[in-house]
Amino acid sequence: MERKVVFPQKLLPYLLLAPQIAITLVFFFWPAGQAIWMSTLLQDPLGFSVQFVGLENFQAVLQDPAYLATMQRTFLFSFGVTALSMIPALLLAVMADRVVRGATAYKTILVVPYAIAPAVAGALWLFLFQPSIGTIAYPLRLIGIDWNPRIDGTDAMIVVLIASAWKQIGYNFLFFLAGLQSIPKSLIEAAAIDGAREIRRFWTIVFPLLSPTTFFLLVVNLTYAFFDTFGVIHAVTQGGPGKSTEVLIYKAWYDGLIAQDLGRSSAQAVILMFIVIGLTVIQFRYIERKVHY
Amino acid sequence: MPTRRTLLAAAAVAGLACSPALAQQARTPITMWIGVTGPAQEEIMRYAQEFNASQTQFEAKVEFRGQYPEQRAAAFAAFRAGNPPHIMQMFDAGTGDMFALPRATIPVSEVMQRAGVQFDPASYIGPARGYYSRPDGTMNSLPFNVSTAVMFINNDIFTKAGLDPSKPPRTWPEVIAAANQIRERNAAECGFTTTWLAWTMLEQYSAIHDLPLSTEANGRGGLNAVLNFNDAPRARMIQTLVDASRNKAFQYGGRSNDANALFVAGTCAMLIQSSGGHAAIARDLKAKFSVAPMPFWPDVLAEPKNSIVGGASLWVFNAPNRSAEELRGVAQFLAFLARPETYVRFAKATGFLPATNAAFQAMQAEGFFQQNAGRDVPILQLTRGTPTANSSGYRFGRWTEIRDMYHEEVERALQGQQTAQAALDNTVRRGNDALRQFERSVGAAN
Repeated sequence: MERKVVFPQKLLPYLLLAPQIAITLVFFFWPAGQAIWMSTLLQDPLGFSVQFVGLENFQAVLQDPAYLATMQRTFLFSFGVTALSMIPALLLAVMADRVVRGATAYKTILVVPYAIAPAVAGALWLFLFQPSIGTIAYPLRLIGIDWNPRIDGTDAMIVVLIASAWKQIGYNFLFFLAGLQSIPKSLIEAAAIDGAREIRRFWTIVFPLLSPTTFFLLVVNLTYAFFDTFGVIHAVTQGGPGKSTEVLIYKAWYDGLIAQDLGRSSAQAVILMFIVIGLTVIQFRYIERKVHY
Repeated sequence: MPTRRTLLAAAAVAGLACSPALAQQARTPITMWIGVTGPAQEEIMRYAQEFNASQTQFEAKVEFRGQYPEQRAAAFAAFRAGNPPHIMQMFDAGTGDMFALPRATIPVSEVMQRAGVQFDPASYIGPARGYYSRPDGTMNSLPFNVSTAVMFINNDIFTKAGLDPSKPPRTWPEVIAAANQIRERNAAECGFTTTWLAWTMLEQYSAIHDLPLSTEANGRGGLNAVLNFNDAPRARMIQTLVDASRNKAFQYGGRSNDANALFVAGTCAMLIQSSGGHAAIARDLKAKFSVAPMPFWPDVLAEPKNSIVGGASLWVFNAPNRSAEELRGVAQFLAFLARPETYVRFAKATGFLPATNAAFQAMQAEGFFQQNAGRDVPILQLTRGTPTANSSGYRFGRWTEIRDMYHEEVERALQGQQTAQAALDNTVRRGNDALRQFERSVGAAN
């Protein structure tokens, strides 16, 4: 049975909700509506001529093989970033959970990357991987790896993946740690008394009980990878070499701001919006069922 | 009553004392957005201060709004919102976009004429005048930082490799031979590199070799121009870079200005770069260097043509909220920037070219080019021979984006994913799509 809270007054809940609804309308629905409207227009860079073209922009975008390749790349990239930021974060959280002395210091240090702006994080990793002087690139070259993200698409992808994921580890770590600390110690102790080893205890008790946290982080990280990695890519590769690190959000930005093609850029923004809505629906519909609260 | 009179007098004195401050308040602000960094930005900021000190009516406010493309996006958004800056610095590649939207700006010739400021487009060096003027001679934008591509040579590396820096390679076969020798003798990690790949290897290359970029006189004849630079000579240039990158005779250094770092760090012996980068190289490079003209292929054209201008020009936005007074201030400030002495100072401090003939002659007269070897190379290259339709610049919409298409496709060729010819074919195909889209979008605008 679900418990229901019933307000005696009809007006009060709406009043309480009003500020949130106003914010959502102004900062989400209004721009989203504008994007949808602009995606049906063909206009020159300065807006002198505005022609209604219906769904033509969508047609052009979706028929462009380069766009479809970028879409595929974005999915790989986003799942890659999510995996690369969640798995190490979980590992670190499990380790930190067991630390007794100096725990706060460890936790603080691990959270720091989250406070770094995406562009700065990108620049940091760019320096580390800079082909001729980078701290990581130099030993790579010494062991005979021809490392050059400027011209090698795979190398470039590795740099933006690591930079994007690294930034998010601290955030994930915090949530995992909080999740771990809310698991009743008695359960783990009982399993230990029953003779279950550490790895078995983790997979049969800790991991399932962590699933609400994991699920929440999955949603947040995928959204992060889709939208907030722009700063890293812009700072590190500008989508290149070729198009090998161009993701959907970067392309939408480029076509809108640099190429000044607002119609097609808006169409991409709308497509992106539907992708993320779709992903979130799938996550809540199918994955949430497997989550134990 | 004496006390009251004293008070009044005191108030009057106080009022007088305030009046300079009031005059300060009443200055009409003139905003200019720029997209250059480094020495060039510092210079322009200084000129604005000097302009403000030279008169009391106007206050020039120069603001850096990000690199050229970002700055342009910001200015366009401000224009759509009805409040653009008075003046915008627009880079070479954006010129075609601006020409296609004449209602957005007021030609500089007209701004000057309305304000009664004397202005003669004919005083500008030919390539700059041609690039920024309409066929009827009206100058649309004021050429300010005018540059062209030249080759910088690290003398120390040349000497180390047994090459003579006083005889720099003139042709591409000579550049490749020198680069190979540098690599064989291990004098440097890389032979040569280039900044602004599309600008140097496509645009300057085509002008120098008298090859068209498109139909319709490189887009000057109309928005219906069709790109057609996917031919053998242009493909050979890319293929040369691909081949030379195998032994690092050539090293790709990134799309925009990034390759400059490879040269000033001493990694690469030769750099093709905007002449406007001269001051920054002189500041950062720890070795002696010389300047040579852009290399050419003697079997494509025995006598290379003039190169074309790059850099940026200053555009005056047209907006409903602009008063006659503001436009007068814009004219005054532009006229201040266009004085020969300002152009001379700017050229000396940055490596950009003197934009007017008077400024060039003034620099010659004071012996600047004798004292500063190599500084005349870009201007001599820009003004050599008789310009043809192919070496008089180009005018395309969305050229910023088409440059990046070239970058992407050449990068894929450098990765070995496609041939040089395929890189050009793809650029031309994608570029023509963008041109048609632009043609449609502005078709109803004018």
